[in-house]
Amino acid sequence: MQDYHNIIAEILIDETTLQERIHQLGEQISRDYANEDLLLICILRGGVVFMVDLMRQITIPHGIDCMAISSYGVGGRASSGNVRLTLDLQTNIEGKSVLLVEDIVDSGHTISRVLELLSTRRPRSLKVCALLDKQERREVEVPIDYRGFTIPNKFVFGYGLDLDEYYRNLPFVAVVDLKKYKGA
Amino acid sequence: MQDYREFIDQVLFDAAAIERRVRELGAQISREYAGEDLLVVCLLRGGLTFTADLTRYISISHELDCMSLSSYGTGHYASSGNVRVNLDLKTNIEKRNVLLVEDIVDSGRTLAHVLEMLQTREPKSVKVCVLLDKKERREVEVACDYVGFDVPDKYIFGYGIDIDEHFRHLPFIATADLDKYRKPEE
Repeated sequence: MQDYHNIIAEILIDETTLQERIHQLGEQISRDYANEDLLLICILRGGVVFMVDLMRQITIPHGIDCMAISSYGVGGRASSGNVRLTLDLQTNIEGKSVLLVEDIVDSGHTISRVLELLSTRRPRSLKVCALLDKQERREVEVPIDYRGFTIPNKFVFGYGLDLDEYYRNLPFVAVVDLKKYKGA
Repeated sequence: MQDYREFIDQVLFDAAAIERRVRELGAQISREYAGEDLLVVCLLRGGLTFTADLTRYISISHELDCMSLSSYGTGHYASSGNVRVNLDLKTNIEKRNVLLVEDIVDSGRTLAHVLEMLQTREPKSVKVCVLLDKKERREVEVACDYVGFDVPDKYIFGYGIDIDEHFRHLPFIATADLDKYRKPEE
């Protein structure tokens, strides 16, 4: 596995900037959901790091749960069509205020399917908190209620986002230099 | 939901102490797996916080995967008997170095079953990194290769560990006085 220093084109969002923004999002969510029964839903595996940091900045009581999703019939980095739940929620979300926590929204296909699916379970409310919004890539409209950063259409990794399953642990978001990256 | 200040007994480890220890564990793991392939496996949901922090202190390249487990036929707080896999690994662990990351080990039964199960897939190695070790409760022997802290046999919450699904987000690890704790209404 290559050292990440050799494949970084640029650091897009450094650790301090990320943490400051997550702190702000946490404050905002704590205000908006005061006295509500809040459940954060982490979409595995990309959303793990963001959700863990975000929940520690949320000062009101709340539960967390996880979902794992895969797409039917499309390969690699594409994401369209129906989604398959590989891990469903343990929590019954009926009547709960649900906040879906995502690392990145690009085409929006996956998240809009998940929202559709979850809304059939009659939560009290259903909102989206996305750390990164790659707006240029949007193919379907997705309401993003809490947005960390809008980013350009570049191949990013770090802070939960992987490159062939590696580098999720880096504390910053970086752009990969595809000329130097050899793949796993 | 009750305010945790009403039932907290004692803060066992504050955020700074946890961070220091997690950093040490990350450094140790990075040294011991240097030059090796490493797959970190987070056991959901209790292990999430610890895994997210630990992996940031592991300086060598590694992959991350998750497993979700539950026990057959036992109550909420018990953990014995066989283990049901709700979410299996995406990664094929054959010939891989696997590091299981768990928030807390008490009886050891769940962990022992998972280890047995994973061994059938012929990984190169499987080790266990656990943040909290409640040794007094151990019923089966299980090798914890990396341990954050030993804890007494008390009810514990915070830093990923819940009471009735709440309080996972607290940055410290505390003991609860269950006489003062009121279960949330459904």
